[in-house]
Amino acid sequence: MGDWIVGLMMAIFGLLGLVLVSGAADTGMYVFGASLTGFAVVFDFGLLKKHYDRCDQARESAHV
Amino acid sequence: MSEALARPPQYNDDVVKKFIIATVFWGIVAFLVGTWIALELTWPSLNLGLSWLNFGRLRPVHTSAGIFAFGGSALLGTSLYVVQRTCRARLWGGEALADFVFWGYQFFIVMAALSYVMGFSQGKEYAEPEWHIDLWLTVVWVCYLLIFLGTLFKREEPHIYVANWFTLAFIVTVAVLHLVNAAAIPVSMFTAKSYSAYSGVQDALVQWWYGHNAVGFFLTAGFLGMMYYFIPKAANRPVYSYRLSIVHFWTLIFIYIWAGPHHLHYTALPDWTQTLGMAFSIMLWMPSWGGMINGIMTLSGAWDKLRTDPGLRFSVTAVGFYGMSTFEGPVMSVRTVNALSHYTDWTVGHVHSGTLGWVAFIVFGALYYLVPVLWQRKAMYSVKLIAWHYWIATMGIVLYITSMWVAGIMEGLMWRAYDRFGFLQYSFVESVVAVHPFYVIRMLGGVLFLIGGLIMAYNLYCTVNDETTEPVAGGLAHAH
Repeated sequence: MGDWIVGLMMAIFGLLGLVLVSGAADTGMYVFGASLTGFAVVFDFGLLKKHYDRCDQARESAHV
Repeated sequence: MSEALARPPQYNDDVVKKFIIATVFWGIVAFLVGTWIALELTWPSLNLGLSWLNFGRLRPVHTSAGIFAFGGSALLGTSLYVVQRTCRARLWGGEALADFVFWGYQFFIVMAALSYVMGFSQGKEYAEPEWHIDLWLTVVWVCYLLIFLGTLFKREEPHIYVANWFTLAFIVTVAVLHLVNAAAIPVSMFTAKSYSAYSGVQDALVQWWYGHNAVGFFLTAGFLGMMYYFIPKAANRPVYSYRLSIVHFWTLIFIYIWAGPHHLHYTALPDWTQTLGMAFSIMLWMPSWGGMINGIMTLSGAWDKLRTDPGLRFSVTAVGFYGMSTFEGPVMSVRTVNALSHYTDWTVGHVHSGTLGWVAFIVFGALYYLVPVLWQRKAMYSVKLIAWHYWIATMGIVLYITSMWVAGIMEGLMWRAYDRFGFLQYSFVESVVAVHPFYVIRMLGGVLFLIGGLIMAYNLYCTVNDETTEPVAGGLAHAH
């Protein structure tokens, strides 16, 4: 459940980053918005990877 | 034995390890940038004519890297370690939330540093990030508070250990300070520029209420939490007086919050407010020295360990520096002393005796204790290298603060000197020329401190990667 909440929260931040980039009036906001989106994408991929790592681990320990 | 004691909980140490690695990394960055800007102050042409390398932009990179990146990562990491052990409970909120706090905090640091070198700043000391970065930090900080509070609520120990009280005060107060001081009106949602919600003397008072309590609650209360856990653990002794630690806590947090106006002596701030700030600063001697005595006396019966454990030596020296800088601070807050010291390098020296001597040393002590425990090693890779780090860093601090004392007092005296006709005896630039040799000495102190930091990073790296050191069986992660 925690993964879902944090993952969704990050997805919203990623979208917000895109909005900020789209209307950015200066370099500061452009860099922040783009970085926020990139950070959100990488973080959510990290969550997915950890989820499947845990599934693999559970399968392996079930085999043993 | 209860069931809880029989089966120790599985703690979340992954997030602690990440914070420890970040602490070492940001420490080196902070020391490196600090040394570089000390070089720039000595030889200004070293800014190479590049806007993003000039002193005004790199200075907040140095202070933010030192306080928020190095100190903050150490505080967040150790507090999450301590709260789990003293509550016998895994972190509340799950792994993803803890990871969010770690990566979100690192994102804040990188964004803040990038914005400074690009020329974006609110122009408030220790509160330079613009509004959007402030909002991001607020989100991360609230998640950190939730994790900490949630863990306290689900604790299996009836008592909340004093280190957690200090940490909670640090988290809650920093949140309040940040929210109030960072209140600003952005030019638009799409610009990284905002204007403070306050103006004039109110703005100054709010800023220094924040600024002094950033020292009081970020750099003091948080690290006192570290002291109250790691010194007893490293010395294998109980806290000298638990009752004194509670008195220390309540008096410190009550008094510190009022001391900010001493930063605004001889300004447009009403006189009574300045006096109030000064009076509370002097009152701070009591809790500060009570805490120092408590920290040092915890070694009663274990003084011999200072000879054999240089990691513990770091922690105890840190407490000594805590005592020294909390003596010097109230002295400098007295209006007549402040007339001499304010705007001079004495203040810079004072801040660094606190940040290098107290904050960095208590962190080094905690790191030397924690890394072998977290990575399940029997001991550090090299005790000799810890001793080298200790002496080189101590020499660095001594060079730094003595040169700044001399430079600062000289500046203060030169600026107030009148000739017999009533004219100022020295022009400002003459005072700049006069302090040049001391800037060179200060820079050398910084170089020594940086070398010490690099030795520590190498030693910690080897400890983690040393395959000849046998991991401790069963995992020390359980019950420390």
